[in-house]
Amino acid sequence: MTTIGQLVLSGLLIGGIYALMSIGLTLIFGVLRIVNFAHGEFLMIAMYGAWAMTRYLGLNPYYAIVAIVPAMFLFGVVVHRLIVMPALDKPHLVVVFATMGLSILMQNVALMALSADLQDVPPILGGRSFTFGPFYAKPELLIGFAVALACTLGLRFMLQATYLGKAIRATVQDGEAAQLMGVPVPRIFLITFAAGSALVGLSACVMMPLFSVFPTVGLNFVLIAFVIVVLGGMGSIEGALLGGICIGIVQSLSSYYIAPAFGQMFFFMLFLLVMIFRPAGLLGRKGEATLGIND
Amino acid sequence: MTTLLEVRNLTRTFGALNAVAGVSFTVRQGELVGLIGPNGAGKSTLYNLIAGAITPTSGGIVFKDRPVAGWKPYQAARAGVARTFQIPKPYRHLSVVENVALSAMLHDRTVAAACDSARAILADVGLADHEDAPVGNLTVGLLKRLEVARALALRPSLVLFDEIMAGLTPSEVKGMTNLVAALPARGITVIWVEHVLYAIMKTAPRIMVLHRGELIADDAPEVLVKDPAVIKAYLGEETSFA
Amino acid sequence: MEAAAPRAKRRGGRWRLLPERGTLSLFELVLLAVCVALVAVPLPQYLQDVVIQTFLWAGLALAWNIAGGFAGLISFGHAAFFGVGAYTSSILAANYGLTPWIGLWIGGLLAAAFGAVLTLVCARLRGPFFILSTLAAAEVVRIAALNWASLTGGAEGLSILPIASIANMVFESKATYAALMLGYFVLIYAITKTVEGSRYGYYLFAARDDEEAASAAGVNPLLARTGAMCLSAFLSGIGGSLFAQYFLFLDPTHVISPELSFQFALLPALGGLGTAIGPVLGSFVITPLSEMLRSYFGGAGAGLHLAIYGGVLVVVMLYFPSGIAGALQRLAERRRKGPP
Repeated sequence: MTTIGQLVLSGLLIGGIYALMSIGLTLIFGVLRIVNFAHGEFLMIAMYGAWAMTRYLGLNPYYAIVAIVPAMFLFGVVVHRLIVMPALDKPHLVVVFATMGLSILMQNVALMALSADLQDVPPILGGRSFTFGPFYAKPELLIGFAVALACTLGLRFMLQATYLGKAIRATVQDGEAAQLMGVPVPRIFLITFAAGSALVGLSACVMMPLFSVFPTVGLNFVLIAFVIVVLGGMGSIEGALLGGICIGIVQSLSSYYIAPAFGQMFFFMLFLLVMIFRPAGLLGRKGEATLGIND
Repeated sequence: MTTLLEVRNLTRTFGALNAVAGVSFTVRQGELVGLIGPNGAGKSTLYNLIAGAITPTSGGIVFKDRPVAGWKPYQAARAGVARTFQIPKPYRHLSVVENVALSAMLHDRTVAAACDSARAILADVGLADHEDAPVGNLTVGLLKRLEVARALALRPSLVLFDEIMAGLTPSEVKGMTNLVAALPARGITVIWVEHVLYAIMKTAPRIMVLHRGELIADDAPEVLVKDPAVIKAYLGEETSFA
Repeated sequence: MEAAAPRAKRRGGRWRLLPERGTLSLFELVLLAVCVALVAVPLPQYLQDVVIQTFLWAGLALAWNIAGGFAGLISFGHAAFFGVGAYTSSILAANYGLTPWIGLWIGGLLAAAFGAVLTLVCARLRGPFFILSTLAAAEVVRIAALNWASLTGGAEGLSILPIASIANMVFESKATYAALMLGYFVLIYAITKTVEGSRYGYYLFAARDDEEAASAAGVNPLLARTGAMCLSAFLSGIGGSLFAQYFLFLDPTHVISPELSFQFALLPALGGLGTAIGPVLGSFVITPLSEMLRSYFGGAGAGLHLAIYGGVLVVVMLYFPSGIAGALQRLAERRRKGPP
């Protein structure tokens, strides 16, 4: 009984962190109606950034947040201006191929410039875990989960209470109508894309103490992010959190009771099942996946 | 005249909204029937139901003595029901001729034969000059004519026109009206949704009026103009019917 | 992305210079002659290798294009079909002594079955949802192949016996392989051209451009799309078998990889989606370039050529979405119309 409880707890915590990684992706989809296929590579460079700051400046990755998040925001602005914006008024597959191309470019530049070795940062608190009765949890997991939770709540607050948030929600519901109402939709697109990128930066700092980074790490995580986003409902922030937690728990349980190798396969099967039976996901708007994008 | 289409107590709800509520009517072969009503009356939904784009919540549709409620659009097309779309939906990567030829391919077994049929129809609707143009260059008026051409290329028994006059100049309206009026003689039964009332009132011997999903009148235009229910529901809005 | 500018009538029986839908052009005939020459003329081994890969990838890109370009089913998981074909014929040969000449058809059919299942299962999905599903499906196949070691040899891979004989489809001379690949490529090109100019092809274009309108015109979009994916998967599977017979070694990490799937989509995208000549141009430009970069930069080249493609793809998609074929088309149009 305790084993299952422990597995669920660990799964919950890591799931929250996976969710943090995916919130940017779902937000970008909700507002811009595009999937950023280079999402994993954004994570990769942010993780390398966090690692480098830890390694060469002696900071721990949580402090690196201060530098990485704004840097990723700027990176998002650049990518949006150069690649996303010109692609938005073209057929949908242009943005698909363009972000795919960016993904491949970034992966391979990293492969050429950096070593293919895995890089890590040392665990904080010397690797001790906190215990709660029969359960234990690494501090990195707890901190990561707390950040994820805070982020979700913060975003929800921002979306409900601020003008920017309302503008974003309006754009999600009907971009044309929003524009007619005076919402600067192109700027909303830019801010959302850059914010999504910044969120990836935040999650990278929180993930660095838990995962190793290497040039193609993006691929592993982006597939997880896709599954979470689809499961939770494209465009839904709470859905991403919920989806992340589900995935975390499923991964935790299946790795233990079946085999770690099959863990990944489970995601994809879960993904395909969701796509077949409830493409809108847990909290997404019904009909979205079938209506798809206007070409 | 034999019955071509029979709609029995047809209802379609979207959540709490009764888009089409218990509509019943019969259309006989060779008829030219107008369908008018204010925006939101349910005309497009009715068309979508008949043409198979959506399924009814309840009620029946009988076409050529076959119950067909809930059929798929391509089944409707193959059975002889053609429709135009209110907002034109051309195939963007094909030329005008190819757009029409696609419909003709239902009956013509080769691409070349279909293109020949297409060219004949394009001449009929006045698009002969734009045959090889990519559709991206066409104005709304021309796109509406393309819709008509595509529908006619299916060699249908029943055609459902959806606001084909919008965007046409008065002389173009005249030309199109003549085209539509001549269809029953060619064996094509017409149901015609239109907002350009003067065209439809003068041409269609029978007009149905839809309001909030219900069929509130089904009569000759002269009678309708005096019907208080119709006046209240529809003609009370700012529409010209001179 | 734009298909080649449409031309529905044949003008005066004169030969067209550049490729068009529905007819054969001088360009294509000249290209065919060049390809035959590349096979017949004795070349150094190294160049023969490039020729073989170029022809194979031209065929694979054309196969992808039937689903991705014609039907609008963008797939980033085609390596799965390729892998299914490759492994099927190789396993049948290794375990049952079945000649690959028959095995490749079985592999193709199995891949086609996968394609049908995928399309039907994902029938309601559009845009990125469909693309992600193809990615996920391919990963499922890869992981299954990796872990089902008793069947596929797992991570250690599967070797094909290098005993040269016609029955084994293993050849001493690279020129023979080149001829084989050329045959594959020309066959798929012929199929592509035929589909492009046929009613079925038009049904695919219509269903791709506007599914609702196509449906209202009598097209069954799901059936049309499924057919396209089946054909695409079938031909990709056969390509996989041919690859296995040439390379003589298979392992899931390289044969069913996302990188390979990307290649399937990259070549048609660069060459011109939705046209027949586009994927061919894509392969003829990228594959030799690939080999050149690989040999010039050695180990580091592994990353470099892909990095370049990524960058080129971004630029091409944003500024030349019709690819090389589209650019040629516009040149031809300008020539025909004269200076503005």
